[in-house]
Amino acid sequence: MQRKNIGIILVVSLVVFSSFSFGQDLLIKNGTILTVTKGTIPNGDILIIKGIIKQIGENIEAPKGIKIIDASGKYVIPGIIDSHTHIALTGTNESAEAITAEVKMRDVLNAEDRSIYTAISGGVTMVHTMHGSGNPIGGENIVIKTKWGKTSEEMIVHSAYRTLKFALGENPKRANSPAVGTLRYPQSRMGVNAIIRREFLKAKNYMEQWDRYLKAKKSKKPPKNLILPRKDLRMEQLADMLRGKMVARCHSYRADETLEFIKLSKEFDFKIACFEHASEAFKIAKELAEEKIGISVFLDNWAYKVEASEGIAYSAAYCTKNGVLVSINSDSNERIRRLFNDAAKAMKYGGLSEEEALKLVTINPAIQLGVEKIAGSLEVGKHGDIAIFNEHPLSAYTLCEKTIIEGEVYFDRAQYLKEREEMEKKKKEEEKKKVKKGGTK
Amino acid sequence: MTKRILVFAAILIICASLCLAQEKRTSVIAIKGANIIPVVGEDISEGTILIKNGLIEAVGKNVDIPQGAKIINAEGLFAYPGMIDGSCYLGLQEIGSIRATVDYRETGRINPQVKTVEALRPDSMHIPISRSNGITAALVAPSGGLISGQSGLIRLVGWTPEEMIIKSSVAMHIQFPSLPRLRRRGETQPREEASKQITELKEILNQARYYQKGKDAAKKNLGLRLPEFDEKLEFLLPVVNAELPVMISVHAEKDIKAAIKFVKDEKLKAIFLGVTEGWKIAEDIKKSGIPVVFDSLNSVPPKWEDGYDAFYRNPGVLAKAGVKFAFSSGSASLAKDLPYFAAKAAAFGLDKKEALKGVTIYPAQIFGVDKMMGSLEKGKLANIVLADGDMLELRTNIKHVFIDGKEVDISSIYTELLEKFKKR
Amino acid sequence: MKTKKNRLFICLFAVILLFTATSSARVTPTYAIVNCKIIPVTGSPIDKGIIIIRDGLIESLGPQGKISIPEDAEIIKAEGLFAYPGLIDAHTNLFLELPKEETRRPETMRTVSAEPQQKEKAQHPDLMALKLLKPKKTAVADLHKIGITTVLVAPERGIYAGQSVLLNINGEIAEPMVIKSPVALHVNFTTASGTYPSSLMGTMAFLRQSFLDTEYYSSYKSQFSKSARGLKRPEYNPFLEALLPYVVKKSPIFFNCANLEDIKRALGLIKEFKLNAFLTGANEAWRVADLLIKNANVPLLVSLDFKPPMTSIYVNQGEELKKKAEEEIYPANAANLHKKGLTFALTSQGLKKPDDILKNVQKAIKTGLPKEEALKSMTIIPAKFLGVSSFLGSLEPGKIANIILTSGEIFDEKAKVERVFVDGISFEIKKPPKGEKPSAVNIAGRWSATVSSAMGEWESTMELEQDGNQISGNISTRMGRWEIRDGILSGNELALSISATIMGETMDVAFSGTAEKDSIEGTITFMEWSMELKAKRIPDGKF
Repeated sequence: MQRKNIGIILVVSLVVFSSFSFGQDLLIKNGTILTVTKGTIPNGDILIIKGIIKQIGENIEAPKGIKIIDASGKYVIPGIIDSHTHIALTGTNESAEAITAEVKMRDVLNAEDRSIYTAISGGVTMVHTMHGSGNPIGGENIVIKTKWGKTSEEMIVHSAYRTLKFALGENPKRANSPAVGTLRYPQSRMGVNAIIRREFLKAKNYMEQWDRYLKAKKSKKPPKNLILPRKDLRMEQLADMLRGKMVARCHSYRADETLEFIKLSKEFDFKIACFEHASEAFKIAKELAEEKIGISVFLDNWAYKVEASEGIAYSAAYCTKNGVLVSINSDSNERIRRLFNDAAKAMKYGGLSEEEALKLVTINPAIQLGVEKIAGSLEVGKHGDIAIFNEHPLSAYTLCEKTIIEGEVYFDRAQYLKEREEMEKKKKEEEKKKVKKGGTK
Repeated sequence: MTKRILVFAAILIICASLCLAQEKRTSVIAIKGANIIPVVGEDISEGTILIKNGLIEAVGKNVDIPQGAKIINAEGLFAYPGMIDGSCYLGLQEIGSIRATVDYRETGRINPQVKTVEALRPDSMHIPISRSNGITAALVAPSGGLISGQSGLIRLVGWTPEEMIIKSSVAMHIQFPSLPRLRRRGETQPREEASKQITELKEILNQARYYQKGKDAAKKNLGLRLPEFDEKLEFLLPVVNAELPVMISVHAEKDIKAAIKFVKDEKLKAIFLGVTEGWKIAEDIKKSGIPVVFDSLNSVPPKWEDGYDAFYRNPGVLAKAGVKFAFSSGSASLAKDLPYFAAKAAAFGLDKKEALKGVTIYPAQIFGVDKMMGSLEKGKLANIVLADGDMLELRTNIKHVFIDGKEVDISSIYTELLEKFKKR
Repeated sequence: MKTKKNRLFICLFAVILLFTATSSARVTPTYAIVNCKIIPVTGSPIDKGIIIIRDGLIESLGPQGKISIPEDAEIIKAEGLFAYPGLIDAHTNLFLELPKEETRRPETMRTVSAEPQQKEKAQHPDLMALKLLKPKKTAVADLHKIGITTVLVAPERGIYAGQSVLLNINGEIAEPMVIKSPVALHVNFTTASGTYPSSLMGTMAFLRQSFLDTEYYSSYKSQFSKSARGLKRPEYNPFLEALLPYVVKKSPIFFNCANLEDIKRALGLIKEFKLNAFLTGANEAWRVADLLIKNANVPLLVSLDFKPPMTSIYVNQGEELKKKAEEEIYPANAANLHKKGLTFALTSQGLKKPDDILKNVQKAIKTGLPKEEALKSMTIIPAKFLGVSSFLGSLEPGKIANIILTSGEIFDEKAKVERVFVDGISFEIKKPPKGEKPSAVNIAGRWSATVSSAMGEWESTMELEQDGNQISGNISTRMGRWEIRDGILSGNELALSISATIMGETMDVAFSGTAEKDSIEGTITFMEWSMELKAKRIPDGKF
């Protein structure tokens, strides 16, 4: 059944890709190019052909008829990647049960969510949009590009890791919802851990049933009363975790619950790509670095609940300096448009360099999501996902002027200002007409 | 014998005078070599600020430094006035979701009697964090209901509430409807209009006036009945007598217009808080003479037609129209972000110098404490910040903070936990 | 002897014949509709034609002169009238009284436990619209007025809402109307209340799992029936039993698509499980026209409800755009689909008032749908989709006599349906009573009412809506919230019909009185009791 699904996906993607023209051609000229991985080019150009960066350097010759963006005096960085959001979805949590691994964000994508526009107004070109943190095991997340105006299918990034949302601590145990909080198991951190273990044990049993069936079927004398096991979508998801086809993205706050989950992952041999929020990561930087598990954090959003009450602003920089792969996320349809401000704070709180700070919102989340081959830095061969700022992106005085995905401009502040001006003009003319008519205000 | 006594006395006197000299020495501090941004007046490169007895004694390029003064080498650093947060919950909240730690909101609609300074927690973990980012004073404001209570102005240092209070009653806070929140699906909820609030307010203010009249008449004539004590009306008297300004939290264009008229009709002193749609009627606000304190700029404008940057643009538009304004953090855990709102507004059209004034001299003027603070001028309190760059910039590090002439501890739970776990 | 026996048999036989003849079908007159313009829909129009109806069927039709009028025919003079096939509304909400959903507060997570719940118990795929047949009082007349003679009625609530029934609206009694039951299984992309799945993502997973489980259940049952020895007997599961005919035997499934993503979701499920399915609702289908062209074998039913879904960008970019969407953009859905070469049926699904059906067809035509297409989309196309085109959907000899006679071309502003035939039974469309005047005041809004009777006084609140002189709304009392229907405000005279539910019983209660701008007074009559009602308007801004 799985191979069939993959087959369907392959065929559909082929059809989908062949029918879309991938990306556009674009030449960005004379900007200060912050590649993030390969240094800075003070007066550089980027050439994008059919959505892929073909050349980065100085004085690139413009192919005939290509669209040119003059970036003189501007700063050009890789499109920002937000590795933890809930935008572009109809619904966030399936909270009727504690374990809902079978639900998929893929099924509820909403390309008309205004938050996508909010994201591109802040230079974000890709997001990892996720199930909420209401359940110990939530659902399968998805990575999309913020192609405002296009269809939901066109936004999906198919090469990203498949990720399953896990959550620990106050949210899945419903500590902060007094009205309904005390009705659903689990109600404690020990219950959260136990229920996750239970589901993996069930999944192992499920896989064993199928293995036995297949073995028996293939055998020389298959038993007469051999029946196909029931296909269970929830178990299939967890089985995929155990088979290494999906990685865990686990929401945790306290250092201890984070360590417990690492133990759990070893007990069942599944991979954790990243801990989300990880307020107390600085307390266990050593372990995280050793296990090579990344974190995706707020820079300084803290003290809104007890488990976040020791979430110091220095954590991101400190963990970076101690060998942990750190990304900064927004988990908010408002904060998403100022991730570059959050990155800058990592210079102040912990002394990261400019480049280290920029990595927190570009190449680091790309690596965590498995898309570093196509995004996260300005390198030849990667997608032309770019954000252009009027001041240095880590300055408090900067703003995003253009957001480009695969060579196509999706957000253009100049265009926006022009449209506003025209709108204001129209309004004034209409008001003049009203006054002329003698209408009262 | 007497010789010994004399020698002993002499030694005592010398020690005493030395000690006195020591004290005299520490009460005079000279900050040397800093790039001084006084906010009022011209910037001074490599200047000196002389602090004496907690006040700014002198600011200039060449200032005589008295002997015995403690010298702080500020070469390469920038000296600014300490910032003032236009409205926040510092000292009134520790953890947002734990009601036991939240004290800025009462139950009920009319609560003029409550004062935030009376709920202040000097040990709050948020105060040192804000202070370490250059904020030296803050308006701590109540919220909730229609009349939320009285805000006060505090300095961000002190062991007891008394030591922190600069002004125990700054304004009476009133809440008009807020803008609908932008939900993820893009719907906006229907909103009530401020007309309902205004009707209620007018009534209660009138009652307060009658109450005052009744008290006055009874004072003059023993034969008249003394009005019975009414807590709500009693505490509204300073408002109706225009001694205590009202600080009205108002957002929608229609509501701002109605609020301007309300203030005029009732002859009140007023400040507006929030004013997110102020840019639509900047002229009217200017004409009214009412100053504005902006909320945190971190919300997405609910109306698409207003533009994605409406809240960011707002301060620039109002400033250009001549409205007096200040910034606020509206928070406890994120109060340290005050300067970054000013910078964000500057990114979207506000003049940079005006932005700086919006966190220094303008809030001081709005709260009536500009003789004491808000700029680096002789005679004002020595609230001084020494930073290694532009104080409104994200990457800047604050090196020293002085409040009332004394250098304050800029460590916080952030630095304490960091140091603790560095030792692991 | 032989002849006597024979005679007896013949008599018996004759009696039986007579008996069956009289009891099998209503006796309907033979009609000859003369002198009308006939639009058969399949075939060219006939300028001056005759239609002969006999025994509920179209016996013959053709140009005047070519068709002879039988002796027993009742002549219907139809000069200047147009004859069309009766319209088919392939998905309507306007016909039946569906049971009101218990508004129990889903004590959210009341029964949520860590154990997978009995989520199937909350679903009712076996709910039959046939069993719920309780036509609304004025439903028949309302639909005939617009020319609709055949309707598909489906349960509407829940993920697996239930199974629909196809009716020929030939009177007031339910059973004789039934053409087919069940027609299809109806699925909504919604959530279950108070239990799993409580989110759309959960619903998608739940639908997939239930289809998988149905296939599994079916294969297990067949394996057991082939060789039961050594196998545990299959557990009876009513939920999966109900789904079996649709998921395994491929009876039709209707997927209700509220927005364009729902269309994608439905097509995904159809492909994955090889379902025989229809798309319905789909009022923003034009936005995914290319996808629909690729899936042209999936029948498309498009609703005449032009209200844009909440997810649409047209709805959250300002009031101006929202209005334009409702007035211009969404009404053009059908026209846009037609331009792309797509075929579809038009339905009234989602509309709350029968008058809106005609209004909205007219809007669809105004925004570019050719009138002939609109007509086809309500006659032969739905007939084909529903598999009844061999006897419905056009005017052809041998087909059922579902005919409408209109003064003026159908869907024209001034056109009126004068007479309707359903199963050969004639219905004359009544004109509104001459005494009806336009209303003198606007009584829309909230009212505080006091009802006094011999048993005492009680307070209530009324919310009234007014459309022309039609009044509707509800009245909230201690005993619940009752619907006000069929209200007419003629001048200052107000007549209402209230659907009161008292102790589980629903009955109609009549009010008649006078209305002024701010006050209403009158009498409520209920069986032999009468009560006085006095209502005062509640000004805006107060509660």
